[in-house]
Amino acid sequence: MGTELTRLDLRLRRRMLVGTAVGAAAYLFLVIAVYPTFRHDSAMDAMVAANPAASSAFGITGSITSPEGWLSANMYANFGPLLGLLLTIGYGSAAIAGQDREGLLGLLATLPVRRRRIVAAKSLALLVGALVVPLVSYAVCLLGPRFELQPRWGALLGVSVALTLLVFDLGAVALLVGAITGSRGAAMGVASATAAAAYLISSLSPVVDSIHAVRWVSPFFWAVGDDQVTGGVTIQELAALTGLGAALFGATVVAFRRLDVN
Amino acid sequence: MTSPPIVADHLTKRFGHDRGISDVSLVVEQGELFGFLGPNGAGKSTTIRCLLGLYRPNTGQARVLGTDPAAGDAAFLAQVGYLPGELRLPERLTGAEVLAAFRRMRGAHDTAYESGLVRRFSVELDRPIGTLSKGNKQKLGLVLAFAHRPQVLVLDEPTSGLDPLLQDEFAALLRETAADGRTVLLSSHDLDEVQRVVQRVAIIRSGRIVVDDTVASLRAAAPRTVELTFDHEVDAQSLAAVPGVTMTRPIGRHIVLTHTGSAGPVLAAIAPMQPDTITARPADLEELFLRLYGEDTDGN
Repeated sequence: MGTELTRLDLRLRRRMLVGTAVGAAAYLFLVIAVYPTFRHDSAMDAMVAANPAASSAFGITGSITSPEGWLSANMYANFGPLLGLLLTIGYGSAAIAGQDREGLLGLLATLPVRRRRIVAAKSLALLVGALVVPLVSYAVCLLGPRFELQPRWGALLGVSVALTLLVFDLGAVALLVGAITGSRGAAMGVASATAAAAYLISSLSPVVDSIHAVRWVSPFFWAVGDDQVTGGVTIQELAALTGLGAALFGATVVAFRRLDVN
Repeated sequence: MTSPPIVADHLTKRFGHDRGISDVSLVVEQGELFGFLGPNGAGKSTTIRCLLGLYRPNTGQARVLGTDPAAGDAAFLAQVGYLPGELRLPERLTGAEVLAAFRRMRGAHDTAYESGLVRRFSVELDRPIGTLSKGNKQKLGLVLAFAHRPQVLVLDEPTSGLDPLLQDEFAALLRETAADGRTVLLSSHDLDEVQRVVQRVAIIRSGRIVVDDTVASLRAAAPRTVELTFDHEVDAQSLAAVPGVTMTRPIGRHIVLTHTGSAGPVLAAIAPMQPDTITARPADLEELFLRLYGEDTDGN
């Protein structure tokens, strides 16, 4: 019964999921297709090295012309998370607070499904949404060898999992704030601000000493901010991302049980 | 002895200083059609949401089918049908898709009964919800509430948008439901809608229950209207002095009055005045209702 709620929510957001998947695939294909033009461009690496602060702000560290650096700088460290967050924060703020405001949640909450299972069903839909960009991106990257782009596949797979968990966690922040406040605006605002702060902490940590000391508080840093496309994701980083998601899920269950549903 | 299927025991739910409900108590017996009346904003929907576990009351307790609805127990919810006052359904889905989704979420139930309801209310199943009129959406909402044959039905403004023929069909469905031993709480701001079908009503005003009685008792106590015409000028003062009489139009040769209690003293006062015509209307709950609504209705 709970999975039917998941299906219903995914059905209602099908166009956005498909549209984002197509958009992400088209963008990444273009990035990969032009790679041969830039792979030997040492001037680009020199430009990045000469402007570390500006480069860091866009999530670019190390060599930009290596396969991993190219994918990280053009997708995994910035646009990938951004596209994923559009889906998950958008859904997270709509799933409880948005449906409550629209009046649909009141009807759904009187169906024979406990509130914990409603949160579980919506978290599952959130996870599906979080999977879209990483999954499509990995699939498009498989075309890389045809364009002289041969990344480390194991590391890329790990980053795909970490990116899924990262955008899930920040979408779960929206779900939680929606369950606490019943306000879609608050859910979207708090989750977006959290994502922006986490991104800035992670991306600026290589060049700002005071931020570098606290970089470990950013889930971006755990997923894509420590050059994981090259070096791979550690078990500890995956565990931290998973633990954060589980904690947010638990808090959302508690908050949703207390929420007055309209 | 089993407890009544719906019990509200001193429910209070506040939203800020002057909104919400206070000390609301009511009991609905099994197989009863219960009307819950009040002007818009009086607290009907808030009470209903407390009864369904959607709201947690600040104080007091609700018991529905012997369960605290705030616990959100799935077995309890399986026995409840709900039609919200502001029905919202996914606009891109068709009626058939919504019915199928709700059927799956409720677990399997008797689809023959659901199909019968669809035919009975001529529900549009093939068009997206977003293209349906308010009345057609409401018909779908009624099917969603009744389709699984719940033991308790809580219907918030159920006939909103329905045409008169379907209102009659809906009234027949309510009677069948009650005859089946199932219980219905029906909220409305419209007395006419309710008094045709329910056995008992509670009236809520400004968040508090002001009347809880049978329709028959209310009707007995309700003012009756008498209209008199004369072919000569009369002095209406003698009528106004009769206990229980209120003059609503004491002008010239056309007098309209309402009275409560026995008709004898009123007829005795009228007879010497030799009226040309007398028209007496049956007891009208509307008068009583409007008096109980008081300033809330005047404000509208």
